[in-house]
Amino acid sequence: MMVNEKDINEQIAWAKINTDVLRSMENPRKSYWVAVAVCLAMVACAMLAEYIQYTVGMGVSNLNNPHMWDMYIATFVFWIGMSHSGTLLSAILHLLHADWRKPIYRFAEAMTTFSLLTAGLFPIIHLGRVWNMYWVLPYVSDRGIWPNFRSPLVWDAFAISTYLSASMLFLFIGMIPDLAICRDNTTGWRKKLYTALSLGWEGNDRQWRNFRKVYLLMACFLIPLAVSVHSIVSADFAMSIMPGWHVTSFPPYFVAGALYSGCAAIITLFIMLRYFFRFEEYMTLPIMEKTAKLTFAIAMVWTYLNLIEFASVWYGHDMYNKELLIAKATGPYAWVFWTMLFCGSVVPFALAIRKLRRHMPTMFVVSILLNVGMFFERWMIVAPTLSLSHEPWQWDVMWGSIVQWALVFGSFGWFGLLFLVFVKVFPSVSMYEVKEMVFHRNMTAGQRDVLRMTDHAKPVKQTPGVEGA
Amino acid sequence: MSLDNILNNWSDYRKAAEEGGFYDPEGNHPYEHRWTMSINLDLCNGCNACSTACYAENNLAFVGKERFEKGHAMSWMRIERYWDDQDKDYPEKGASFLPMMCQQCGAATCEPVCPVAATYHTPDGLNAQVYNRCIGSRYCSNNCPYRVRYFNFYSYYDDAWPEPMQQQLNPDITVRDKGVMEKCTFCVQRIRSAKDKAQMEDRPVRDGEVMPACAQSCPTSAIVFGDTLDENSAISKLWKKHQVKRNVTQQHKENPELRGYRIFEELNVDPSVMYLERVREEV
Amino acid sequence: MMGWGGAGTLLAGCDMPSTVTLEEGREEVISYLSPEEYVIPGVGVWYASTCTQCAAGCGIHGRVREGRVLKLEGNPVSPVNKGKLCQMGQAGVQGHYNPDRITTPLLRSGGSLSPVSWEKAEQVLAEKLGGVKGDRFAWFTGSISGHQLSLVSSHLDAMGSTNHFVHEVVNNSVAQSVYADMFGDDAPRLRIDKAKMVLSFGADFMGASESPLLYSGDYSRFRTAETRGLLVQVEPKMSLTGGSADLWMPIRPGTEGVLALGIANLLLNKLKMSDAGIPADVREMINKYDVTSVARITGVAGHRIQRVAALLQERSPSLVLAGATVEGHTHGYASTAAVMMINHILGNVGKTIEPGARVPFPQLAAKRGGTADLAAFAEAAKGQQLDVVIFHGSNPAYTAPASLGLDDGLANIGFKVAIAQFPDETAMAADLVLPVASYLEDWGTLAPAFLGGEAALQVQQPLMEKLHAETRGFGDIVLALLKQRKAADFDKFEDYYGYLRNAFAALPASVKGGADSDEAFWNGALQAGVVMLPADTAPLRSTVVAFSEPREADDAAGGLMLIPSPRMGLWDGRHANLPWLQEAPDQISKVVWDSWAEIHPETAQKNGISQGDLISVRSAHGEIRTRAVLLKSVHRDVVAVPLGQGHEVYGRYAEGIGANPLKIIDPARDAKTGELAMYATRVSIKHVAGPEQFGLVKAGGSDTQAGRKLVVTVSAKQLRRTEGA
Repeated sequence: MMVNEKDINEQIAWAKINTDVLRSMENPRKSYWVAVAVCLAMVACAMLAEYIQYTVGMGVSNLNNPHMWDMYIATFVFWIGMSHSGTLLSAILHLLHADWRKPIYRFAEAMTTFSLLTAGLFPIIHLGRVWNMYWVLPYVSDRGIWPNFRSPLVWDAFAISTYLSASMLFLFIGMIPDLAICRDNTTGWRKKLYTALSLGWEGNDRQWRNFRKVYLLMACFLIPLAVSVHSIVSADFAMSIMPGWHVTSFPPYFVAGALYSGCAAIITLFIMLRYFFRFEEYMTLPIMEKTAKLTFAIAMVWTYLNLIEFASVWYGHDMYNKELLIAKATGPYAWVFWTMLFCGSVVPFALAIRKLRRHMPTMFVVSILLNVGMFFERWMIVAPTLSLSHEPWQWDVMWGSIVQWALVFGSFGWFGLLFLVFVKVFPSVSMYEVKEMVFHRNMTAGQRDVLRMTDHAKPVKQTPGVEGA
Repeated sequence: MSLDNILNNWSDYRKAAEEGGFYDPEGNHPYEHRWTMSINLDLCNGCNACSTACYAENNLAFVGKERFEKGHAMSWMRIERYWDDQDKDYPEKGASFLPMMCQQCGAATCEPVCPVAATYHTPDGLNAQVYNRCIGSRYCSNNCPYRVRYFNFYSYYDDAWPEPMQQQLNPDITVRDKGVMEKCTFCVQRIRSAKDKAQMEDRPVRDGEVMPACAQSCPTSAIVFGDTLDENSAISKLWKKHQVKRNVTQQHKENPELRGYRIFEELNVDPSVMYLERVREEV
Repeated sequence: MMGWGGAGTLLAGCDMPSTVTLEEGREEVISYLSPEEYVIPGVGVWYASTCTQCAAGCGIHGRVREGRVLKLEGNPVSPVNKGKLCQMGQAGVQGHYNPDRITTPLLRSGGSLSPVSWEKAEQVLAEKLGGVKGDRFAWFTGSISGHQLSLVSSHLDAMGSTNHFVHEVVNNSVAQSVYADMFGDDAPRLRIDKAKMVLSFGADFMGASESPLLYSGDYSRFRTAETRGLLVQVEPKMSLTGGSADLWMPIRPGTEGVLALGIANLLLNKLKMSDAGIPADVREMINKYDVTSVARITGVAGHRIQRVAALLQERSPSLVLAGATVEGHTHGYASTAAVMMINHILGNVGKTIEPGARVPFPQLAAKRGGTADLAAFAEAAKGQQLDVVIFHGSNPAYTAPASLGLDDGLANIGFKVAIAQFPDETAMAADLVLPVASYLEDWGTLAPAFLGGEAALQVQQPLMEKLHAETRGFGDIVLALLKQRKAADFDKFEDYYGYLRNAFAALPASVKGGADSDEAFWNGALQAGVVMLPADTAPLRSTVVAFSEPREADDAAGGLMLIPSPRMGLWDGRHANLPWLQEAPDQISKVVWDSWAEIHPETAQKNGISQGDLISVRSAHGEIRTRAVLLKSVHRDVVAVPLGQGHEVYGRYAEGIGANPLKIIDPARDAKTGELAMYATRVSIKHVAGPEQFGLVKAGGSDTQAGRKLVVTVSAKQLRRTEGA
């Protein structure tokens, strides 16, 4: 008989929640600065690599004819994919009333925003003439030229910028009550910052009601946006005629992969935040288990979609696709292919085993492996098709140069840097939502009914001076 | 637009997109040319004259051994050499040479995917590459089944034309900077000059007046070039003779043994280049 | 969006292409003071001239804009190439504009060459020439014809010398000797276009031959004739022409003569063709070679030999050709004669072998080079018989096999003058280097050989002003030398241009046709780029000369033979400094910017060699190292190393690349003509090192079509059905 562990300690005091979370934003210890230094170093490498690439030309990245896209696009798709975590947790699970998401969705939503900021760098970096990148945007030019709206890359530009702005807005709005708490409990520059950002939040009834509505609206808005963004990114491939790319199941495949990647990253950051900020009370084992189970489910969906792709190659009898799949499995990229399959379809079974699920070090390693699998999957999509397409004279196996790798690793540094700044400036656990969770868990069934009824009741006319409940 | 209108005119609209301009069922084309090419693989001996002529005419940079190995060569017209009958002891039927360059597809897969519309279809039937619009996203090259698009991975002009070699550069065509995609243009600069000249002299462009550098150089005259909107041109007659039609993914010929065919036409790209099958006699 | 703004400003500060101000963008624009009236800025003007990239002498049209030549095309009026141009012709502009051209005279002092003025150079040269007598003076040139030859001959005459050494690596001297003996014409017109079948014994007529474009045009008509011609090629290594053969057969090197005898045997004994005109001892020799023994000796399958013989009889008129791989043995003459004998048996003479168009002015007729002169020169030099030698149009320091000892020989020559465009090995070994203008900026005439019908004199005119002020035209240099010796005859010519004008004016009326004046004729000649000359033709005779047994004494010894193969491209090494030609992949192996050794995969396996390995190819006279390319298009007993690389000097594009197989060639000579037996060197190969990333660079990611419908091949039967051919 399983011990019915609580997702959260239902007796926890609200003041304690505040203190615990605010404590995470105190002046950092040495290990934090070391992490920042490492991230800065990675970013510096990337900047040097980009400088070289900018001044000498794309050739330094080892890209060639036919292999015109490689790690940059793969990393781009990877980061876009990772951005779906926040949306999943904050928006989708919110609609599903899965309140176990409450302690963890904040950093996930932050992860979304920062992933998008990182991903957005790559379509710029991979351009041959970076300085003209703004031509992709529709602006009134004196030559009367607009971007080519038929091109999936232009759709990318729209989709990503929309998703990014919506995510940032969602993150910000969702943080307002917390920022008010921060405002009330800090001094100095922080107080000034939080005062400005919390937009005069008082926590009265009207504000809460409006807040709830906006939050719900944004959540509803974000979900189709998330699905469409990654579908559009998948259109970069699906809209071409190349074997291995021209696959109709790419939009759901990519979205599934994105959710998968995002969930795995959530687990990684979950464990790290839990350890460094001692958030054991909030990021509890049961929540970890639930996240792990969710990840497992998504892993199986991804595996299924992968198998569909293989199956379609098998029954499709298209020579190019068939050859390509066999080459993926047995050719020079085989080690990437099999690592992807192992990490993506075999390793997640660790998430299904209860004992392993509850073992933090194992989960840490597993989540990293899952993301390695996902990264390789992105690479598997981009590279083999280009190496082995219709024209045999132009078959060529190419491995990225150090410039490419520097930029790819630098992107992880950039993300890390953003995230490190975030966790020290903003509360990485949503204080008000945790309080809500504790409150709801403490309610009896009867009280819950009353709440549900009052939720749908018409608002009471406010008389001035009377504060909300 | 009413449903009727869409249904009735959709095929016209599609034809227009595919035939590179305005489709007029009565055949009064407001556009003057449809440039087309034919390569007789039974005459091509793989000598590379066309490839070198293209380098000379179009300011192509040579890249040197290391960059060639890395795949950064810029041969717009390349001669591919295949061995058939690999199971035999010796290649008894010789080698199979294939001159491959941009097929100027009627339904080019490279055109819709350029984010800045740097490649588009001209009314002449050419797939044009606008160098100064290209931002180098390289999607077009990825989408080309023939892989005939070449990217300037470096500023080749730094190395390829040491003084005084730059004097050889053709002033009718740009020298491309790094970050820009390029490909065979059917020597559009020659087409342009011929059209300008014809216009000044108030006459149509004559068959044979425009010859791309490759066709002009080919020692065995394997390459034939011309305008298929001109019914009397050599190329029109050749396409008709081999019963090769445009806008189809599979040729249905009255005589299926006729030698004309197009490469990868099943991908529905509608290439403007017809190849004539190579012939080998059994001895 | 947060990062973009910052990134933007960062990027703006870098080396970003920006608009150029009027001041920054200011350039010197040099225009003509008084251009010709037909020169419109922005519109190209075409001038006719002649290409000198090989000895064929094709006519070219050069596109000139703003006073510089940009692009070369074939001259449609030229009977040699009829408007087409090969890759070497196209690359001519790169030679003209090559950054490594010699731009000032160089004089050797204290062991190294240093720039001097023309005055000094001429003074030194005059001194040296003044002090040399008779045959101790020599000219060493490549194939030469036209009025340049006339001047060189005059100069030799004036110096009292008969030593004109003419050297070409790519030559058919042995065949010329056979043609002369058998047909009475050493340069007959080979009508490939009239033949219904061509059996080529290694004759790479579309590639490295005496007139590749002439024959390529022929080939085009050959294939598109009413009955499509059949090409059978038999050679040790697949050449460019071999790549287009209907049937390509590898043959053990040196046994081509035996195969020819076998075919003759079949034609005479089995197919009962007439043996009229065949000497008795030759007839006896033929009888010895039945199909079985021929198949055993040559490695060509017996049923193929029979089939080829039958087809030769069926497809009349046919044409049988012998190429460099046949000629290049100690029994080269005999083998070539055996091959040509088949033409006699088949009655091809007069049908597909027509009289060559002989230039009616013997002093202008081409002196075609071979390797016999190279060997003789090396002997003379080593024997200290030469005091002053002028080199032009040939690079013997590079092409001479090490075994000839030419390096020692050169050291023995008192004073070496090189009239050179590029710093090649010979120029760099010379004592005085005179920088010569390129063919695109010089006057001249050229008499192409191997034409039929009318003879032609190709005209060469400058397509632009001299690129480098201190270079001089070849004709001008020789004329200056002549003026020193024979002032009376040559002082009246101000320069070579004047000499040519005079020479053209002196042409007989039959040549000048209906031209109104000398001026009109001259202008017409320049416009056309060629002057047609009434040919001196006499009908050919068809005889079979006696020849010895076309076999090596030790051909059963086995082992590997070295095939130093020239190709359309780098040719004999002279074009290694043209980057387009280095970057144009070899037509068969697709290797770029390097030399390589072509080996059959089975042979490679036996020697433990894989693709891209660095191997050593060793003959009795030296060793070269290069990378292995495994191809089935060579005979198992062959190591084929291309000519052209292995330069130690010659400019940035040629230096230090690959290996030169000419160096390790055995100094054997053809018994009859004295030509070097270039294809008779036995070698052994050894693995040295494994492949490296930038070791062997090839174009192409796949050797097979991988099931794609790229190059589709149909049978000739189908062609006959559909196109009636």
